[in-house]
Amino acid sequence: MISLSSVTKRFGPPTGGVTAVNTVNFKAQTGEIIGFLGPNGAGKTTTMRLILGYLYPTEGKILVNDSDPLENRIELLKQVGYLPENNPLYQEMGVSEYLNFISAVKGADGISEVVSHVGLQEVLSKKIEELSRGFKQRVGLAAALLGNPDILILDEPTSGLDPLEQEKIKNLIKGLAKKKTVIFSTHILSEVEDVATKLIIINKGKIVYDGAKPKGSGAVGKLFKKLIKE
Amino acid sequence: MLNLYKKELQYYLNSPIGYIIVILFVVFANFLFMKDIFVVGSASMRPFFTLIPWLFLVFIPALTMRIISEERRTNTIEVLLTLPVSETQVVLSKFFALATIMGVALVLTMGMPVSLFFLTKLYFPEVFIAYLGSFLMSSSFIAISMFFSSLTKNQVVAFLASIIALFFLLVSGTDFLGTVLPRVILDFLTYFVPQYHFQNFVKGVFDMRSVMYFVSLISIFLFLTIVNLEKRD
Repeated sequence: MISLSSVTKRFGPPTGGVTAVNTVNFKAQTGEIIGFLGPNGAGKTTTMRLILGYLYPTEGKILVNDSDPLENRIELLKQVGYLPENNPLYQEMGVSEYLNFISAVKGADGISEVVSHVGLQEVLSKKIEELSRGFKQRVGLAAALLGNPDILILDEPTSGLDPLEQEKIKNLIKGLAKKKTVIFSTHILSEVEDVATKLIIINKGKIVYDGAKPKGSGAVGKLFKKLIKE
Repeated sequence: MLNLYKKELQYYLNSPIGYIIVILFVVFANFLFMKDIFVVGSASMRPFFTLIPWLFLVFIPALTMRIISEERRTNTIEVLLTLPVSETQVVLSKFFALATIMGVALVLTMGMPVSLFFLTKLYFPEVFIAYLGSFLMSSSFIAISMFFSSLTKNQVVAFLASIIALFFLLVSGTDFLGTVLPRVILDFLTYFVPQYHFQNFVKGVFDMRSVMYFVSLISIFLFLTIVNLEKRD
């Protein structure tokens, strides 16, 4: 479970700085797939980094599985799988070497299950720099899944992928959700319609919608456009 | 932490950079040694140890420049720091991996004292203490260069900043400053200069104060690097 109460994040000096996230409140329960929607620079990545304890909130309280990420960051990160924006990877490493490294640091086993789950068997012996964008994204996703974390935070998991690869990643996320809390950010509206069970829309650092995903084809897009224009 | 250490070491073992730097270091070190034997006609390790800090000045920033700046540039630092590890573990593992490589480079120069042993009388404990001093000095230079690598995303900037900082640290131990500073201030400053403490080791003197000096220098700069990694705004 994730809970954010009046969380604000300011960058720079107190006067003249930038407020990236402004008094944000929301909760994410186990079994929910939350589509975190917003235009570029809305505060999606900052919010995700705050949940992970990678950034510190200027104000407010964050709880992840009832614990404060700032106080128990290391313990907490054992329960969280994270795919950062643009999927940074150690390009010089082999796929197998990279997953072994992540697995060892997380103290996790079950690499072979994760590898077969995301479909990396055929590229295990290759270097990451040799892989296509789709396979690189799968490596990032596999790394996030190692250790069977309760919470998955995926920052634009399908960014830059072709429609076929997008479909594969979306199916993967859907398959994961039953026992996990999944938050994924995107600015692709159809992705939220296909995958999310709940919708949060953020604009200029503020949550402008937090609720059930509207039903019907194109409903998410209509709601999004309406809220962003306001 | 062992896994992080192995990963860092593996990077240098799997890429040509580590080999090139170590080989060049050993080649230049041998050149300094041979020059004194064949040109000056002095069969001693002391000239070699007197000049080795100047080799560290170039080779350590070259080895260290990418260690954090590259992680910042490619944003793999975010991958690393969202794994269940602390900033301290990240910095220490990187430091120990670099110290291992520098240690190996120093071990590879040990052919010199061994060959010298056949030419002249060599007091091995003195050589051993000088090597220990070299290792401590190189480790303190690694810590300083790591700090500069943590300040920027640009490897070249990290390299140049480290070289400038280490250069001033080295020249502050020479007579150069005696021309501009009063004797009293110079005597006081001398205690803070790596060359002063390193010379004790070169003379074969194992002085715990000099060991503590290098350990403190390493600790201060590793601490500053950790603080720098914790600042993410």
